[in-house]
Amino acid sequence: MHLDSVQEKMLRGELGEAKQFAMEIVSKVGDAVGADELVPVKSAHVLAHYSSLRDAGVEVLERFASSGGRFAVPTSVDPASIDLQNWKSFGIPENYARQQLRLCDAYARLGGMRCWTCVQYQVCNLPKEGDVVAWAESSAVVFSNSVLGSRSNKITAGMDIACAILGLTPKFGMLLDENRQARITFRLDSRGFTDLDYRSIGYFIGRNTGGLVPSIAGLPSSVTSDQIKHLGAAAAAAGPVTMIHFPGITPGSKTAEDAPGGERVEEIEITRSALSDIESDLNQFSELPDLVAFGVPHLSVSELGELAKLLDGRKLKKGIRMYAYTSSQAYDMAERTGISETIERTGARISQSTDAEISPLKALGFETVLTNSAKLAEIVSSEGEIKVGYASQNEIIEKVTS
Amino acid sequence: MKQWHKIGKGLVMGSANGEALVSLRAFTFAHGVDPSTGVVTDVRSDVRGMDVKGKILFYPFGKGFTTASSWFLEMVRLENNPAGVVTEAVDLSAVIGSVMARVVYGKEIPVISGVPRADYSGLKSGDRILLDAGRGEVRAEG
Repeated sequence: MHLDSVQEKMLRGELGEAKQFAMEIVSKVGDAVGADELVPVKSAHVLAHYSSLRDAGVEVLERFASSGGRFAVPTSVDPASIDLQNWKSFGIPENYARQQLRLCDAYARLGGMRCWTCVQYQVCNLPKEGDVVAWAESSAVVFSNSVLGSRSNKITAGMDIACAILGLTPKFGMLLDENRQARITFRLDSRGFTDLDYRSIGYFIGRNTGGLVPSIAGLPSSVTSDQIKHLGAAAAAAGPVTMIHFPGITPGSKTAEDAPGGERVEEIEITRSALSDIESDLNQFSELPDLVAFGVPHLSVSELGELAKLLDGRKLKKGIRMYAYTSSQAYDMAERTGISETIERTGARISQSTDAEISPLKALGFETVLTNSAKLAEIVSSEGEIKVGYASQNEIIEKVTS
Repeated sequence: MKQWHKIGKGLVMGSANGEALVSLRAFTFAHGVDPSTGVVTDVRSDVRGMDVKGKILFYPFGKGFTTASSWFLEMVRLENNPAGVVTEAVDLSAVIGSVMARVVYGKEIPVISGVPRADYSGLKSGDRILLDAGRGEVRAEG
């Protein structure tokens, strides 16, 4: 990969230790993926949660911070592993919180926006079509490429911080036109989709698309951006998906024929029975759960409002916890508009700045979790420590409240 | 298996040898391998319960969580990492994890892609494998 004279200086350490460390990582990754050059990014989104980064990640982030690192572009951050406002009342052990707070401190010293959310595009980091960004968080990368039209590869942990410090990313993969065309079409053969269906559709695509960029045909025009958010998150949890063409939504793909650039590509039907298969695969138990988790990825204020409507007047059954995960910004808005009160009156809680899949559920004593998130179901069953149930929001509420 | 030999594309340089651990399904380090033991925990993996430590790990593609490179790096810190990785499609998390392993811990874990699942599916876990990422070479010795 070609480096210009300033980038060469960075690599030699003439512009400080943090930039040198960052350039070492970014240039080696650029070489590995066959990039010709580095290009500037408009924003970055990085990971700083303890459940994934662990002690190696604390070491790396603190090394960047203590060697004078400073983010060169607006940088947002994924959720923490604890509710940063109320972690004590959620029962988080002190020593676990301490490691997370070290990451928070290092991240703050690097100068990032302290948003702690996986839906940064709904909160504080909204690029426009054509912008190049360096984002971590697979669900947000899919949303960027598929809906916003901003271009990002899945910039994974460690590299994310390095790109943010340099304000640069290697030019490869989803940054290049030729890699953004759809190579396979998934066609829906039915209508009337529930919240769960959208996630199962995404999961099916993730599992069956292999390395190909998919497009999806037959999606109703009533689909909301929140539903697309969950569909994309499920797809990225099940397979190597970085972009999905939604005809009529994805910039450049007005119709299903546009998505593959007019070429004929393989087509796979997503039938009702395929969606049922996904449901039974992700659903591991039918008893009452220890925990109900909504919001992987984070719920928007309107989704919290929907949840409040469904919960209004109900009571959570004894011995069950229900947490709705969201950003601090949506949390504040829900507080001001009475949504929080309605939700909490049932015995449920809203948890901010963290998310279920990256919080220490096992250490908190949960043996079973019930969710409508295919991403959470996939992750929990991958870790293999907790049993997971997968059902629609309506079914869940019917089951766990009276 | 005797004298099996493929050329892929070396992504992260280095050479390695070890026993094959062969997965034919999408693989994830994030949430799927316990860094403190190196054991695969993912219930959907065909190598669940197996140990990646010191192995040459084959899988077609990653599931693609962006946290995966940090799980990889923690595995390296605890010395439970595979000796090398061979994939069909480029798995960015293995590439970045391996680069981080080099830069942070000075450890060489070669990564080769472009070896289709159909080509390596005849290998058995336990076959002796030699990797040379400089030449993109993956070789099994009988």
